[in-house]
Amino acid sequence: MGKILEVNDLHISFHTFAGEVQAIRGVNFELNEGETLAIVGESGSGKSVTTKSIMRLLPKHNSEFKAGEILFEGKDITKMSEKEMQKIRGKEISMIFQDPMTSLNPTMTVGKQIMEPLLKHQKLSKHEAKKRVIELLKLVGIPKAEIRFKQYPHQFSGGMRQRVVIAIALACNPKILIADEPTTALDVTIQAQILELMKDLQKKINTSIIFITHDLGVVANVADRVAVMYGGKIVEVGTVDEIFYNPQHPYTWGLISSMPSLDAEDEELYAIPGTPPDLLNPPVGDAFAARNEYAMKIDLEKQPPMFKISDTHYAATWLLHPNAPKVEPPTAVKKRMRKFHNETDSTPSKEVVKNV
Amino acid sequence: MSSNEKLLEIKHLKQYFNKGKANEVKAIDDISFDIYKGETLGLVGESGCGKSTTGRTIIRLYNATDGEVLYNGENVHAKKTRAELKKFNQKMQMIFQDPQASLNPRMKIADIIAEGIDIHGLAKSKEDRMNRVYSLLETVGLNREHANRYPHEFSGGQRQRIGIARALAVEPEFIIADEPISALDVSIQAQVVNLLKKLQKEKGLTYLFIAHDLSMVKYISDRIGVMYFGKLVELAPADDLYNNPMHPYTQSLLSAIPLPDPDYERSRIRKTYDPKIHQYADGEEVKMREVAPGHFVYCSEKELKQYKALYK
Repeated sequence: MGKILEVNDLHISFHTFAGEVQAIRGVNFELNEGETLAIVGESGSGKSVTTKSIMRLLPKHNSEFKAGEILFEGKDITKMSEKEMQKIRGKEISMIFQDPMTSLNPTMTVGKQIMEPLLKHQKLSKHEAKKRVIELLKLVGIPKAEIRFKQYPHQFSGGMRQRVVIAIALACNPKILIADEPTTALDVTIQAQILELMKDLQKKINTSIIFITHDLGVVANVADRVAVMYGGKIVEVGTVDEIFYNPQHPYTWGLISSMPSLDAEDEELYAIPGTPPDLLNPPVGDAFAARNEYAMKIDLEKQPPMFKISDTHYAATWLLHPNAPKVEPPTAVKKRMRKFHNETDSTPSKEVVKNV
Repeated sequence: MSSNEKLLEIKHLKQYFNKGKANEVKAIDDISFDIYKGETLGLVGESGCGKSTTGRTIIRLYNATDGEVLYNGENVHAKKTRAELKKFNQKMQMIFQDPQASLNPRMKIADIIAEGIDIHGLAKSKEDRMNRVYSLLETVGLNREHANRYPHEFSGGQRQRIGIARALAVEPEFIIADEPISALDVSIQAQVVNLLKKLQKEKGLTYLFIAHDLSMVKYISDRIGVMYFGKLVELAPADDLYNNPMHPYTQSLLSAIPLPDPDYERSRIRKTYDPKIHQYADGEEVKMREVAPGHFVYCSEKELKQYKALYK
C-alpha cells in the first residue's frame, strides 16, 4: 500500500473582524491507497477545514494557507494554479457533502448533474455519458435508473439523494473520496445502507476514503485508521482497534466514555466539561488542558509532542512522557483496554518522534 | 422512579393530514399507550413514521382527527375555553429539536425564558420574575450574566439548555422532548442528557423522549415504543426491548445501529424488514398484544403464539 496523500504541518487561518482565527494549527497525516481514514472531533475542531483545504474549496477572501504542504501523489496541492486544481477536483479527489438536500441543484435533472463531471473531465460524448450515468445509478442502488435519470432532486427521498451525490462523486473513479458527514442527516436504516454501499464501492474501485464524522459507531463500522482532532490539531491517530481499545489521549477517553453503550448500567454519562478552545486566542500549552482532569502543570505551558505508542499509533499528551505520573483512565475506557491487552502483549514504547 | 399511576392515556389516537383528499396521509394511525407518572417513555422510528406528530398531537399543536388524549383523566382534545387550555398548557411543555430555530433571535434570553412566566402570571413582581429567570439559568448550568444576551451569542448546547430552562419556567409536570440532542455534538449530548436526568430526579418530571438515536434512547428511557408508518409496533421496558426485540421491524432497526466497538461492527449482520412477511389473512385482527408482562407487540393471534414461543 503506497501513500496517496500526505499532509505535512498544515496551518490555516481565517481573517475575521475579531482577528485571526487559527483554525488548523499544524496537522500531519497520511492516507494510504485503498484505506478508510476517519477523522473525528467536535464541531469547530477543524475536520471540515482540513478536508476543504485538500479540495482547495476554502473561500479565498478570508482564508489563508499559513504554512505546510498537502502532497497528492507527490505534488503539492497548495502551490497549484486554479487551472491545475480543476483537473484534480471532481476527477482525482471528489467529495460527498453532509446535506443531500442542499448539495444538489434543484433546477437540473439528476441525470444531467451526474453527467457534468463525465463531460468535463472524461470528454465523453453525450450518448456515452448517459450510458455511464445509468450504470452509476444502478451501481449506487437506485432502481429504475432510466426513469430516475430524467427526474429532479425533489422527487427523491433523502437516502436516494445521498446516493445520487455519491454517484456524482464516483463518476470519474476518483483516487480519493472525501465524505464529510455523509450519513448524519439520514435515518439509521438508510445510514446502514449507505455505509454498506460505500464499503462495497471501495472494494470495487479501490478508492481511498477520508470519512469525517462525530458518530463513533459509524467510525467503528467503516474505518481502518482513525485520527482524533481537537482545537485544530490531530491529538491521536491509530488503527481503529488501537483507538477504540487502547486510547491514550484524555480527549479520546472523554469522547469514548460520553457515549452510552447498549449494555450500559444506569450510571451517569461522562460529559467532557467546558467548551472547545477559542481559536482566536489559542491557549499556550495543550489546547485540551482546560477541560482535562488529568492536566499537569506542563500542559498549561508547553504543547505536547506526538508520542509513539506503536508503529501505527501516536498521541499528543504529556501523560505519555516517561516522567509523567501514572493515571487511571475512566472505567469505560479501562474496560476496553482490558480487551486490547488480552489480545496483544506488546508493551507500549514511549519515545518522542516529532516536536510540534 | 416510575409509579403505576397513569399520567397520560392515549387512546386510539389518529392524525390524518389532507383528510378525504387524494393525498391523504395517515401520520398516526390508531395508536394507544399510557405514560406513567415519573417515567421516561422513549419513542423511536425512522423519519416520517409519525413520532414527532404523536408528540405534537399530544400537546395539541395539532387537533387530533380521532381518538383521545387523557391527561390525568381529562381529555386534552375536548372543547375547552381559553382559560382551561391555559391551565393545561402550563402542565405540559415541549423541548424542540433545533435550538437555533426555536429561540426568537430578537428576544433576550431573560424574556425568552420568562415568556411563559408572564403568560401564566407566575411572578409576583419584576424582581421575582428576574429571580426566577436567574434560578432557572443556574438549574440548567448557565449563569445569571447570560440573561441579558441574545440567542446568537450561545453555542448549540447552551441554546438547548435555554430551551430546557424555558420549558421548566412554568413548572410543568410533563415534558415532550422532540429530538432534543440530535443537533448536538457527542460530548455535548452527554451534558444535556445528564441534565435532563438530573431534573427528572429533582422535580419528578415525566418525559416523552422522541429520538432516532437508539443508544441514547435506551440510556434515558424506562420504556420504549417503536413506531413504523404511523403505527406503534412494539412497546416494552427499555432493557427488554433490546434483549428481546419481537417485531421484525424492531429487530431490523436494532441491527442497523452502529456501535462504537470495532469487533462488534465486524460481526454485525443487518436484518432488513419487509412488511410482506406478516401475510395477514383477510379479517385477521392485528392489534397490540402482550407477549410478556409489559411487553406489547403489534401482531395477529397466530404471530402472538410464535412470539411467545421465541420469547426468552
